[in-house]
Amino acid sequence: MKAFTFVRPTTVAEAVQAAAEKGAVIKAGGIDLLDRMKERIEDADRVVWLGDVKELGISGALLGPEKDRVVLGATTTLAQIAASDEVRKYVPALAEAAGLAASPQIRARATIAGNLAQHTRCGYYRHASFPCWKRGDDACPVLADGAVQETAAILANRPCASAHPSSLAPVLAACSAEVGWFHPAVMANGRDTLVPGHGPITDLYDRSPQRGKPSDLAIDRGSMRGVIRTIEIPCPAGRRSAYEEVRQKAAFDWALVSCCVRVDMSGDKVSDAAVWLGSVAPTPWHAEAADKALVGKTLTDETIRAAADAAVVGATPLPGNAYKVDLVKVVVRRALERLRAMK
Amino acid sequence: MTRKVTFKAGYAGAERDVTAEIHDLDATPWGLDAKLRVVGTDVPRVDGLAKSTGAARYTFDINRPRMAYAKELRCFRAHAKVASIDLSRAEKTAGVLAVEVLKQPGDRVTFAGDAVAAVCAESEDALDDALAAIDVKYEPLPVAVTTEDGMKPDAPQPDPKNGNVGEEKPNTKGDVEKAFAESDAVVEAEFRTQVQTHSALEPHGCVVEPNADGTFTVWASTQGTQAFQQTIAGALGVKPAQVRVISEHVGGGFGAKFGADAWDHVTARFAKKLGRPVKQLLDRRAEHLVAGNRPDSIQRLKLGAKKDGSFTAYSGEVFGTAGNGRGGAGAANTRIYRFPVYSMKQSSVATFTGQGRAFRAPGHPQGVFAEEGIVDLLAEKLGMDPLELRIRNDPHPIRQIQWKLGAEKIGWRENRRATPGSDKGPVKRGVGCAAGLWYQKGGGNFVVNVHVDRAGRVTVQNGVQDIGTGTRTVLAVLVAEELGIDPAAVDVQIGDTRFPPGPGSGGSMTAPSIGPAAREAGLRAREALIALVAQDAKCKTEEVDWGLKQLDGEPGGFVALKSKNYRWQAACALLGPEGLSVTGQRRDNYAGYHGETAGCQFAQVAVDVETGVVRVERVVAVHDAGRIVDALTARSQVNGGVIQGVSYALYEDRRLDRNLGDMVNPTFDTYRIAGIQDCPQIDVILTSLESGFNNAGMMGLGEPATVPTAGAVANAVANAIGARVTEIPMTPARVLAALRAKENVK
Repeated sequence: MKAFTFVRPTTVAEAVQAAAEKGAVIKAGGIDLLDRMKERIEDADRVVWLGDVKELGISGALLGPEKDRVVLGATTTLAQIAASDEVRKYVPALAEAAGLAASPQIRARATIAGNLAQHTRCGYYRHASFPCWKRGDDACPVLADGAVQETAAILANRPCASAHPSSLAPVLAACSAEVGWFHPAVMANGRDTLVPGHGPITDLYDRSPQRGKPSDLAIDRGSMRGVIRTIEIPCPAGRRSAYEEVRQKAAFDWALVSCCVRVDMSGDKVSDAAVWLGSVAPTPWHAEAADKALVGKTLTDETIRAAADAAVVGATPLPGNAYKVDLVKVVVRRALERLRAMK
Repeated sequence: MTRKVTFKAGYAGAERDVTAEIHDLDATPWGLDAKLRVVGTDVPRVDGLAKSTGAARYTFDINRPRMAYAKELRCFRAHAKVASIDLSRAEKTAGVLAVEVLKQPGDRVTFAGDAVAAVCAESEDALDDALAAIDVKYEPLPVAVTTEDGMKPDAPQPDPKNGNVGEEKPNTKGDVEKAFAESDAVVEAEFRTQVQTHSALEPHGCVVEPNADGTFTVWASTQGTQAFQQTIAGALGVKPAQVRVISEHVGGGFGAKFGADAWDHVTARFAKKLGRPVKQLLDRRAEHLVAGNRPDSIQRLKLGAKKDGSFTAYSGEVFGTAGNGRGGAGAANTRIYRFPVYSMKQSSVATFTGQGRAFRAPGHPQGVFAEEGIVDLLAEKLGMDPLELRIRNDPHPIRQIQWKLGAEKIGWRENRRATPGSDKGPVKRGVGCAAGLWYQKGGGNFVVNVHVDRAGRVTVQNGVQDIGTGTRTVLAVLVAEELGIDPAAVDVQIGDTRFPPGPGSGGSMTAPSIGPAAREAGLRAREALIALVAQDAKCKTEEVDWGLKQLDGEPGGFVALKSKNYRWQAACALLGPEGLSVTGQRRDNYAGYHGETAGCQFAQVAVDVETGVVRVERVVAVHDAGRIVDALTARSQVNGGVIQGVSYALYEDRRLDRNLGDMVNPTFDTYRIAGIQDCPQIDVILTSLESGFNNAGMMGLGEPATVPTAGAVANAVANAIGARVTEIPMTPARVLAALRAKENVK
């Protein structure tokens, strides 16, 4: 790892100022960042640690003043989320996803913002000895015959077949979470700075991956990194959510596919739905056709099967990962069966 | 001088008398019916506290004053020619002490991970910066990294002199074609196994420290302390006697850590050149790529039988790659059952990959996975219970007993699915079984020192290392047995070339090679103490009773003339100021009971047929290893073997990009290894027996424990889902593909 200066701001203003400097990266739990730095796919001159910034460190989850939303500070750990009574009650899918991620040791350190900002686990991206389109090379080697493809993307997988690893992002997206952040901007005097902003979590991510830009966050631009501040998840009455994943090992493993299905029920009919998938595309994937297959319907076996099939519409699996198409149908179906059983 | 002894050997129900001509100084074999005080009981590891508190110091933990760090620069192309190598920027990097070129321009690299240069620096950070500053230009060359690619006629060759495919002479007996023609049922199938890396928690490497007198002290993570001394001395240009090697605790080896490796030679050269201690341990990526592996295999097998199930003929062709050399692959798959006629051909295929090394029962887990798979297929064709078929063809008297013990424990009748895949719901369960064998009796005339001081402290010394298997504890138990004291009171000093040479820890030979010497040394010490007690009590030595009962609530001690008590401390106080020093020697093996240890395992699995995810719920492991010295440590060995076998069956796989030859999963989050939640409930049944080969009746256990597991798990999966997965690891993709293939047949 390259030597760096460790910066410890105590206020958001200081953090924003430090993060705006050249060669700065921000560190919360540091789980993913340190892996990248050790592999030297990322070199930083300054590491800005957010752990002393009290405004970011809401300890666990809070209910909003109207009790209609759950508010999470950016540095809330996955362990805190999994254990939070509020999250378990109002956004159960989020508690499930957080509780299954990685290992107990990592969940105790990893933050929700870090989970959203983590880079792909693609073995080609992670090791500088491989060529990688995301790191700026001409082509993605995963697309070649003879590549190791089992964990690669099955949707929107050209020109880059990396799969987005966050299992919490699909949950937050399905539940229409809103993110508060600071993003890079240029001041009148021409200098770089970070300015506050917010939007639906879908705005947090690039629409599609960009060559030479390893980060998937739309609020990271050029060498400038954005800073996630808060995550708010609305939880109106009648809302149900479920998280499902398939992974090879029970202990510490990455999901082969994950999904969150959220439905708002009106009587026994689905009035609104969102089906989001993880580990299937370069960014968290919205299976919009599956949403449409659900809205206005009762959750019969037939509806559920139709939604599961619709979830993989447009899939372009590679020779080595066609099985993931089947896995997606299974997780969507299982999530819907659980939602149907909820009262 | 020898004496003739006859004793009962084997296992209750399958015992017989063995007569041996044994050395006069040797301890008399205990025999099958011996009632022993400590041996065979559950004795906690004597170093358990040190290991669990972090007090135990591994090579990785060694840091010396003025120590520098070394590391090799690796090329991650599988095949390339070095066009140029520029060290100038690296040499100018702050903190760099020395740089060495390992591959000259024009040299080829022939596997991903091959070292091209090395740096020594003041700190690990400086090392990293310097390695990044070395500029090497390569001319890429064509690669072949899979066994199949290596076998192609036009495949590029790591060593063009020899060709890639090294065919061994077939191992044959009888006329296979004739025997197949006369069979009532014949099955054929192809099985495949992957490359598994050793993945010991402590990586390879050492710390080399020059001493003022021209000698060197070396801390090494090794399975062969003595072998390391011999090989590192060469790199240092001194005699082995001028190098002291210390391996007090070793964080695993599994067969990949014998002697000093190329990177250790680099460490040694830097230390000698700079006159400073230098440390180099590999990183995880290098461990996977350059420090050994279990070769893969493609096994095309054919097995025939008569209607009654007796095997008639067995044949096969096996290919595998052990890396850029030509030998070393091969699957052990003709040894367990009675095959009256067979023909087995093994070929090692050279590829542009890191070389294989001995790995916990080399050849066996892969051979057994395939052999036990085809036995199950034959049972299916014959309409026989696969367990019955095995029992019918199994020549080993102990395994005949073990099959029944294991079947009862797993509930073979109740849990075996008569119609595979018939469970309701997506999760299907089933059971399967497989056998294994091993054949190490140990040997080697090693010497163990035992010292007893006037305060009653007992010290045992030998150069042998404990690679996590419990060697230290086994030595303590054997000496404690002979002295009538508590094993925890014995201080075992090992892993140091200052002590008498010990065996390398390979072939499951460590315990049976060194244990009998410890027993003999313990006996010598007891005899000497009895003589002192007799002298003090003015009686004959025959009139001194020892250690059989507790005196005043303390273990050990002697009773002279049935009345005069000498507690352990009191007896030892009779010693002179120099205490008592004795030795025991490992004598040659006797004609034993059976040259092979036996084992079999039963697995119960749950398979989700919608996701293809397999969970191993239970494994029953039945093993013998001659006499079990410490039942707790032995069960721990078997637990480890089973877990490593589950991991082999379901998870571990060195994944190389076929075009580039580099590994895409060289980290522990992507090179999957069974974690705590992936471990089944393990029931270990040890059929402890008198092996008849040495005074302690011991044989080896480390390797056989992992041999049957993958075969048993695969057979259980087939019973659960009604489809056979013929390639490991059994990933969700492969399980789903096997289910789909079955559907298509219907």
